[in-house]
Amino acid sequence: MELCLFLGCNTPAIRPDVERAIRATMPVLGIDLVDSDNYVCCPAFGAFPSTDIDSWLATSGWNLSIAEEKGCDFVVQCGSCYSSLRMGREHIMHHADQRARVNELLEPTGRTVTGKSKVRHVSEVLYKEIGPETIAAQVKKSLKGLHGVVQYPCHTLFPSEVVGFEESARAPKGMRHLVEALGATVDSYSRELQCCGGAGGFMKSTPEQAIEFAQSKFDAILAETKADFIAVSCITCLMHMENVQNTLNKRVGEERYKIPVFDYNQLLALCLGFDPKQVASITNVSRDAVLSRIV
Amino acid sequence: MDLQQGSIKDLWKAIYNTGDLHHCFNCSTCLSGCPASHGDPPLLVRNLARMVILGLEEELLNSDTPWACVSCSKCEEMCPMDVKPFEMILAIRQWQSANDETRVPPSIVEIYKRGYTQAVGVNTDLRDSLGLPELKTITKNPEQLKLFQEMLMKTPVVSANDYMFGG
Repeated sequence: MELCLFLGCNTPAIRPDVERAIRATMPVLGIDLVDSDNYVCCPAFGAFPSTDIDSWLATSGWNLSIAEEKGCDFVVQCGSCYSSLRMGREHIMHHADQRARVNELLEPTGRTVTGKSKVRHVSEVLYKEIGPETIAAQVKKSLKGLHGVVQYPCHTLFPSEVVGFEESARAPKGMRHLVEALGATVDSYSRELQCCGGAGGFMKSTPEQAIEFAQSKFDAILAETKADFIAVSCITCLMHMENVQNTLNKRVGEERYKIPVFDYNQLLALCLGFDPKQVASITNVSRDAVLSRIV
Repeated sequence: MDLQQGSIKDLWKAIYNTGDLHHCFNCSTCLSGCPASHGDPPLLVRNLARMVILGLEEELLNSDTPWACVSCSKCEEMCPMDVKPFEMILAIRQWQSANDETRVPPSIVEIYKRGYTQAVGVNTDLRDSLGLPELKTITKNPEQLKLFQEMLMKTPVVSANDYMFGG
């Protein structure tokens, strides 16, 4: 199966080792990735979706036209990109007047959009298309003996009728099964479904409260689980859950918060035998304690 | 609060023209699980819905809290009256941006100029060291970038604020 890789901004610019992990792992599991040449910002919710419908949907339409021209669906890791592209596609598909306006704007650029290409999250492709059993059969190294917790990307859960793929957005299972397929034990905890809080303007507008909000999640992980790592599948969750641990340590004056955070495709890449220097080297929270135990 | 004074009848039609908005009965489900409801000042989605319904123009124009939303859309999932609160938040931001140029997010200028909010594709040494290919970005394709910019120039936010996008 061929999928068009939509990278967004943060992954290729700031965390290209995650991009490397995705490019390394997906073909092993039968997914060939096609690049999205000349793609643009998804657009981020804080950008054109916060100014007007025309600029929002024209930008969505520009991106969707790339996948449509290649004749395949998009695969996306960043939660915001995934949700923005899906909502954009939803508008374009179900509102004839908006679709007409977008195509009018796209026309001079030589592009058109119908909505025929779907937008899929990488965790959905792994969970539904490939499946935990196939993944378990492919892995060469195991996370056996390690405990992890999972962070579901909010943008893949809500609103479920637009972005969802879980049987229930209130009791998602995908990330858990995917991490278990790598041999790890996944611990549950009371704040498992609490948003990381890293997207949008919350951290920028009221950082004190945003950091406290994140602390409540990390305190629950420390008190209720034996987590050796946190598995995410969204670039914002990854960056925020690392950065905020360092901020919290400065506040409490000790190295209390030091749980390594991995994008799921990074863990998968490590278990498929790829070089940690290529697929999991960029981080603010040391991963050595986990890397040394993957055998 | 005098709800008649300073209120504009039918302002909701200019901001968020959907009948579902009027089904909101202030139950506060939208606050449960909302990260930004923990902020100071808190993002109180139900209060914003009330302000839109009542047409409190000045209060709405001056409210920063819609921009604290993390876009997680949990409110959209949980709202029992189908108000679609996240879409309402975006609609309020759009209305604010259209009526107050200082609300226009600077990120759209970045996107206009180089296609992205981040400097995508310039970290070539790092990408090389990870074994990654060179990205065919729009930043490096003047012809495509020009078409993208010309398209955006026809949209309301860019045409109304074209001075922001020059140079």
